[in-house]
Amino acid sequence: MTTARERLRLFITDTFFVDDFGDSDSFLRTRIIDSTGMMELVAFLETDFRVKVADAELLPENLDSVENLVGFLKKKGVQ
Amino acid sequence: MCGIAGFTVPTGLGPQVRRDRYEARARAMTASLFHRGPDAQRAVLLDGVVLGQTRLSIVDLAGGHQPMKDAATGVTVVFNGEVFNWLELKTGLPGYRFRTTSDTEVLLAAFLARGIDCVKDFVGQFAFAVWDPRDATLWLARDRVGIRPLFYAVTKEGFAFASEAKALFAAQWLPPKLDEDGVVDAVHLWAPLAPRSQFLGVATLPAAHVARVRGGVFTARRYWDVDLSDDNVDRGLTLPEATEKLRAVLTDAVRLRLRADVPVAAYLSGGLDSSLICALAQRELGGALQTFSVGFAQARYDERAFQQEVARALGTTHHVVEVQDQDIGALLPEVVWHGEQVLVRTAPGPFLALSRLVRGHQTKVVLTGEGADEVFLGYDLYKETKVRQFWARQPASAHRPRLFTRLYPYLPLSQQAPEVLKEFFGLGLEAPGALDFSHQIRWSNTGRVARFFSKDFAARTAGHHPAEAVKAQVPAQVLGWRALARAQYLELATLLSGYLLSAQGDRMLMGSSVEGRFPFLDHRVIEAAARMPDAVKLRGLDEKAVVKRLGRGLVPDAVLDRHKFPYRAPVAEALVGAKAPGWSRELLSRAEVERTGVFDGAKVEKLVSKLAKAATQPSEADNMALVAVASTQLLAHQFVHAPREVSRRHLDAVRVEDEAVAAGQR
Repeated sequence: MTTARERLRLFITDTFFVDDFGDSDSFLRTRIIDSTGMMELVAFLETDFRVKVADAELLPENLDSVENLVGFLKKKGVQ
Repeated sequence: MCGIAGFTVPTGLGPQVRRDRYEARARAMTASLFHRGPDAQRAVLLDGVVLGQTRLSIVDLAGGHQPMKDAATGVTVVFNGEVFNWLELKTGLPGYRFRTTSDTEVLLAAFLARGIDCVKDFVGQFAFAVWDPRDATLWLARDRVGIRPLFYAVTKEGFAFASEAKALFAAQWLPPKLDEDGVVDAVHLWAPLAPRSQFLGVATLPAAHVARVRGGVFTARRYWDVDLSDDNVDRGLTLPEATEKLRAVLTDAVRLRLRADVPVAAYLSGGLDSSLICALAQRELGGALQTFSVGFAQARYDERAFQQEVARALGTTHHVVEVQDQDIGALLPEVVWHGEQVLVRTAPGPFLALSRLVRGHQTKVVLTGEGADEVFLGYDLYKETKVRQFWARQPASAHRPRLFTRLYPYLPLSQQAPEVLKEFFGLGLEAPGALDFSHQIRWSNTGRVARFFSKDFAARTAGHHPAEAVKAQVPAQVLGWRALARAQYLELATLLSGYLLSAQGDRMLMGSSVEGRFPFLDHRVIEAAARMPDAVKLRGLDEKAVVKRLGRGLVPDAVLDRHKFPYRAPVAEALVGAKAPGWSRELLSRAEVERTGVFDGAKVEKLVSKLAKAATQPSEADNMALVAVASTQLLAHQFVHAPREVSRRHLDAVRVEDEAVAAGQR
């Protein structure tokens, strides 16, 4: 079974056309994600992982790297 | 307005030898610029140089033929553009006996009186070449902001120049190949950085430069630059005083640009700048102004309501062309053919449709509002720079980055959280004094296109860094200027001349044989603006305050009070999916992309399929990448893989003569 981390990395590679990024690289600072990219990412979390993301949770510490996303999903009960 | 071309040849050859060797080349170069001058096409084979010109007759329709030669000295000129103050210059040249009423002859006389420094007296937009047989020197010059184009190549067979690179390829001076570092420039800076062009071995003479070719040696120097230093600012100038200064200089800039022996019309976007130009022109013309606009079938790009309001208020005769999504795709091959560069936006396309509309109404000259955003701090980039500077003084502040939500109210909500804004806009915040502080965000955003490069291409260009190349070129004193002044300098040096005035300006106008004139880019306007304090231009976060104040009462309030609307055109919906043009299916295929070798075929395939089925609005990064790939493919296809031929009809139309006919004899 693929892990959440693998699924996230695959999504980011496929959606934002990057091959080379570390799990703790900031998406925003490294320009992996732009203004609409965040929406694509949140939509992916909501459909693929079936979690709800509240406005108050739209924070870099939840969303801005693979590492942060894995942590965020864990909090939401996704392994 | 016209097309020019030419090349050096050895001196001392007989007329027949010259004709045998060079006629075909002269004909091919001149004919390839037919669209720039459909009214006459001539070339002359002189002792030492060949000069060609295609003419769009605007001033002295009967007498202004080119190439034009001074009988006494043999000095001969080919000229593209306008010297708007030619009447004033003429009175300062009493020693020359004028035979025509053309501005070309004034240029010739001014050169004879002052040498190449005559350009310093010119108010205008020009690219020209002067052959001086007295010292066997070819002089070239380009206007201060790069409105008119000029390309050249130094080859083993001689020095060759032309208004467009295609003329150099038509006469086989060199084989057309993409300049790979130039492609990297284009996907960061929006254009290759002058003197680099999009083609290997072809250079562009940078704006505000003159060049000399003598004995096979080319040297160029800058003759003008904008001084945005603090020392040049009149600090005590109030907004009302600045408004009166602008009124005087801009009114005169418009007045001079209405000089022509054919009707002058105007573009009207529905924004402040073009509306103001239309208002000033309509006053001068006493009600005879015709205006031309682009409307978009897609409401999110469309500004027709504002255009109509302005046209009604000013009483102009108004014309509109409506652009559908599929027109953008259908026009792109022509856009790239004329533009000769890699693009990241489809926005030039509608300008080509617009110039066709103008030409269809038997009009050859239009005024536009281009340049006001650069000169009077209109762009969001300047506000962003201001906010980032403010924030950099207190980097820990949670409050300061919130200003970005006022700047970009259209950003998605997910971007509005202060922490997110901080990550996104905080790039380079630790070095607010960096020369490129203002442009780091834009260049890195555009630079995301580079992730689509093929592995080989990325490896070959790994040593080229566009931002470093810009920094290496900028004069040292600019580094000491305030952040907004540095931002303006970079904007003028990269985006304005490299993209807005070329791929989206001159080339889209001349593609339909129409001349554009730009009152806001009169150097007297630029110099007046440089002396105004930033606060009368960007007042708080209110852009172009002085222009708005001048506009109050001249243009409808609705235009002054609307939120600035960035000009955009459809991208993904026009190039892929149901409305995709035929060429895109072929040229965006994996095999064709791999044949060109710039982009990664597999990634492009994925991008195209992602965008074709996208249910939501595509991201800016994806749109830019798609346009970059499409334009690169079209450039490679039309110039390298299957080069377009110069038409027989245009080749036959060129008159090739052995001597330039003296001024006024025709």
